[in-house]
Amino acid sequence: MMESQDKISCALVVLFKKLIFQKGCDYKMNRKPTKAMKTRSLRAFLIFCVALLVMIGNLFWIQIIKGEEFRLKAERNQLSDTVIAANRGTIYDSNMKVIAQSASAWLVYINPSKVETDEQKKLLIDGFVKIFELDEETVTKKVNRKESGYEKIIGQIDNKKKEELQQYIKDNKDSKIGSIIGIDPDTKRYYPLGTFASTIIGFTGSEDIGRSGLELKYNDTLTGESGRIITAKNARNGKMPNDYETIYDAQQGYSLVLTIDEVIQYYLEQQLVQAVSETQAKYAYGIVMDVKTGAILGMSTMPDYDLNSPYKVSSNSVLEQIKEIEDEKERQQAETNALYSQWRNRTITDTYEPGSVFKLFVGAAALEEGIMTVDTTYNCSGTIRVANYNQNCFNHKAHGTQTVFEAMPNSCNTFFITMGQKLGKETFSKYFQAFGFTETTGIDLPSEAKPVAGKTYYDVPNMGIAELSSASFGQTFQVTPIQMITAVASLGNGGKLMRPYVVSKVLDEEGNIISETEPFVKRQVISEKTADIMKDVMEQVCVWGTAKNAYVAGYHIAGKTGTSEKIGANAKDENVASFAGFAPANNPQIAVFIALDEPQYYATGGSGAAPVAGRIFENILAYLNIDPEYTDEEFAQATVTAPNLIGESTDTVKSKATGFTVKIVGDGETVISQMPASSQSMPKGGVIVVYTEENAEKQTATVPELTGLTLTEANRTAINAGFNIKVAGNTQGSGKMLSYKQSVPTGTVAETGYVITVYFRSDEVISD
Amino acid sequence: MAAKSNTKKKNGFINSMFAKGSIDVPFFIILMTIVTVGLIMLFSSSYTYSYYNRGSSTEIFTRQLIYAVIGIVAMFLVSRIRYEYFRLIALIGVPVSYLLLVLVLFLPDSVQPGFYRWIDLKVITFQPSEIAKIGLILILAFLLEKNHKAITGKVPSEMTLCKKIDQYSKGRFVIYKSFTSVIIYGMLILSFAVLVYLENHLSGALLMLAIGVVMLWLGEAKGRWFAIGGALVVVAAIVLIANPEILKEYAGERITSWLDKDSDPLGVRWQTNNSLYAIGSGGFLGTGLGQSKQKHLFVSEPQNDFIFSIICEELGFVGATAIILLFAALIYRGIKIGMNAKDRFGALLAMGIVFQVGIQVALNIGVVTDLLPNTGISLPFFSYGGTSLVILLAEMGMVLSISRSSSRRE
Repeated sequence: MMESQDKISCALVVLFKKLIFQKGCDYKMNRKPTKAMKTRSLRAFLIFCVALLVMIGNLFWIQIIKGEEFRLKAERNQLSDTVIAANRGTIYDSNMKVIAQSASAWLVYINPSKVETDEQKKLLIDGFVKIFELDEETVTKKVNRKESGYEKIIGQIDNKKKEELQQYIKDNKDSKIGSIIGIDPDTKRYYPLGTFASTIIGFTGSEDIGRSGLELKYNDTLTGESGRIITAKNARNGKMPNDYETIYDAQQGYSLVLTIDEVIQYYLEQQLVQAVSETQAKYAYGIVMDVKTGAILGMSTMPDYDLNSPYKVSSNSVLEQIKEIEDEKERQQAETNALYSQWRNRTITDTYEPGSVFKLFVGAAALEEGIMTVDTTYNCSGTIRVANYNQNCFNHKAHGTQTVFEAMPNSCNTFFITMGQKLGKETFSKYFQAFGFTETTGIDLPSEAKPVAGKTYYDVPNMGIAELSSASFGQTFQVTPIQMITAVASLGNGGKLMRPYVVSKVLDEEGNIISETEPFVKRQVISEKTADIMKDVMEQVCVWGTAKNAYVAGYHIAGKTGTSEKIGANAKDENVASFAGFAPANNPQIAVFIALDEPQYYATGGSGAAPVAGRIFENILAYLNIDPEYTDEEFAQATVTAPNLIGESTDTVKSKATGFTVKIVGDGETVISQMPASSQSMPKGGVIVVYTEENAEKQTATVPELTGLTLTEANRTAINAGFNIKVAGNTQGSGKMLSYKQSVPTGTVAETGYVITVYFRSDEVISD
Repeated sequence: MAAKSNTKKKNGFINSMFAKGSIDVPFFIILMTIVTVGLIMLFSSSYTYSYYNRGSSTEIFTRQLIYAVIGIVAMFLVSRIRYEYFRLIALIGVPVSYLLLVLVLFLPDSVQPGFYRWIDLKVITFQPSEIAKIGLILILAFLLEKNHKAITGKVPSEMTLCKKIDQYSKGRFVIYKSFTSVIIYGMLILSFAVLVYLENHLSGALLMLAIGVVMLWLGEAKGRWFAIGGALVVVAAIVLIANPEILKEYAGERITSWLDKDSDPLGVRWQTNNSLYAIGSGGFLGTGLGQSKQKHLFVSEPQNDFIFSIICEELGFVGATAIILLFAALIYRGIKIGMNAKDRFGALLAMGIVFQVGIQVALNIGVVTDLLPNTGISLPFFSYGGTSLVILLAEMGMVLSISRSSSRRE
């Protein structure tokens, strides 16, 4: 069998051999693989195995010994690590109005190593200089950094600039500069209210880091955690399918809700600006505080600056002064100084001599220690001998025999020097410390000035009778405005010294409360009883004393003024005029501090600072819906005409109608009609209903019973129901005035805001 | 038995073409393991490239899988043919190889501009050098068997020129057949290598030479040839390394870049550097199957010549070594099959084929690990290439066919 098959195959081979070699088939020849061949094949395999061993050895070298090195090199190649900027948290006022906000912006960078031609270089430099107004030299340097793969050109640019750049790239498509330029998301801080509360809020610098104010103090809270996208990029630098992407989400920074109330802050700033222009003071400071909690409702230093352009000197007069400096270096220095100066929150960072306002604490201490009572009298001759010199009252005026109820309104120096001396330096210092003048208040704002014993005030060992006497009327030491208002507020708060604060809540991205500031009582400084006496004393100061300019009709205002001489080389004959107080005196809610630094006109606390405080009290108390308690006399004088609110935007309408209760109806943006109409006479603090939509349904209410009431009662009833009253009849007579008639009958449905005429007469029997 | 013999007798000639006996099981198992691992690794390494260049991440793998199936079928069919009939192919193979190798030089360089290695049949493309390789092995196996005596013995050459020399030198210069035949085979090998080199395929040409040398070695050409040849290779290598510009531009710069590891990292060195990054990233145990990062277009065409670097990255030192050992086992088993072959043709053919695989493996890994200059040699059974895989598997079929006859004889 085998042979036959072999023969067949052999026959074929024979055929081919015959065809090609013309030879016969050597069938019998031994064709088995020879031994030599076997040996050779094994030798060849051995060589092959050696080669393979070399390969394996080499692999061991690359993978095990040098593995880490190569792996790192590979990773550098593979990973594209993009930082996702975390949005900085928002800052809201107490009514959740946005004060500071981060919005997405863009960052432009280039990859200089990809720059190939001079044409590209020129296009890049020209483009950046033109679009972003950058310094040509700096840009050129970056473009020429051939070995670098990343050079940031500019950050925080808005969408418009970004689109401009994209258009530029498109216009120069042929040069392929698009592959060199990269645009990444970035964030930018916006302050929609501009200068609003600028010295509190502060601003952010490059890299979104807080530079001053709350932005600095709460930088860590506001700063989110930037995320990263680690993409395994491929060699074409393309994004890879999602599986290879690790995203660490950016965590938005926490938001701050401030105790600052936009409206109160607005009133405060408005009045301080006015005060600066009226008194030509160098600076004006103001703080509004919640007496019961220590929460700061408003805080300002004027002149301030626009948070959106912090590096611009805001004061025109300062700017002109700087421009006049000829020496370049000096000019730059002056500009820097001016900038640092305008960023200062002087209510926190600066100290001043408190002057007569401090008498409040001497009085409180004397009452508390029992050194005097409300009945203790002292006879002021206008001058007092202290050690070896005479200390006088203002203008050497002799105030005569007074209790504290007269001495305080008179701001009698001799009275309080005597009280201070009676207290003695130990007790004086004890109260000085107790009211918080030897420590920082601990407010959550940066750079609070820290009192230093022996420097900003005299401590017990260094205090002589002269120092004690001067200190008793507020000279020889310095305090910060925030210390002063905190201490004054304690008098209105039953003797409890609070820790002031600006941030009430910290919110996360979803609005969940992360933390909430609880009012913190530092200590009970004086008894509630003493505090009550002080409230009455302070009210008298505002009724007929040095602070009478702070009086607001219908309200009980308590306060004290001070005028102090500035001490120091630069302060020749310059004053600080200040006022500190709270209202309503019978139930204190807000404390106000006003100081004018170097006022040129109205340069005393009573003439300069008190009226500012008065206007602020008036606005804020109305805004806080604290009912005025007019005397009837006051009320009759309080009839005003309705302001014209048509055309006002809903944002500003309330500030335009200060002193009125404004009800906005509809969702429109501007006021279309109002009730009562403009210039119609109506009560101060009355209701004005404004409509912001065409064809809006008129608001109506039922007219209440308004007869048989006093003026104040009738007014309150009407306002509560949504109406205004117009007083008619006898309101000026003696006896009790009661209403007896109303123009619209009780129970009628009338349009809200309507002015109802109410007629009054005296209940006194007119005997004729 | 009688009945069986009868049927065989009946079928006569056709029946005689079929190889009887069983295939060599270890060889088959090793082979199928390599093919399977090869397919898996091809999928893993190719899908990014495939996704970006073919639109579908599985396209390259699917194509290779289809060819693998075709190849395995072809392998079984070939293994059924009695290997004696491969002599016939050996004779036809030479003119066919020449024809294709010349033809490809005149076809457009559509697959890779500047490189005339592929014949593009639209449906498939293939490299004539792949066919030429097996063609060379076959014809050398045929000739070395047939002229065994002439090569090993001391028989004077019968060529006219040699006789004349003998005559004029009065018997002082006897030129033996062992000399002339090696010269003739050498010319044959060189002609193949030169044609491949003309395709701009230096590595293919070198591979061709290497195959020829191994065949001559196995065919028992005198040892001194190899001593002389080895010396020549060393000289040539030194000359080339010293003056790479002698070679065609692309080949020259690859040698330059192999010598200067820091040169042109984004150009010529890119591929090798990224290959090293991939291998290094693998460490001892690898990043895990499918976890290579370097395959994401860093290692250019990771499914082709550089697939081994992705294997190293994903399977680590352990996996890479295992694959190298698998190849070693395959080759050893192939040599065993050759040793047990019925005749020297079978032996030379089986050994030639497995050594061809071995040389390719060694050259490929050498390139990928930067031991050798970057040439274009694929890793058998792993690298992407359908026709190449089919031809390789068919060659394995030949080895299996030889194993059938030896098992039967035993």
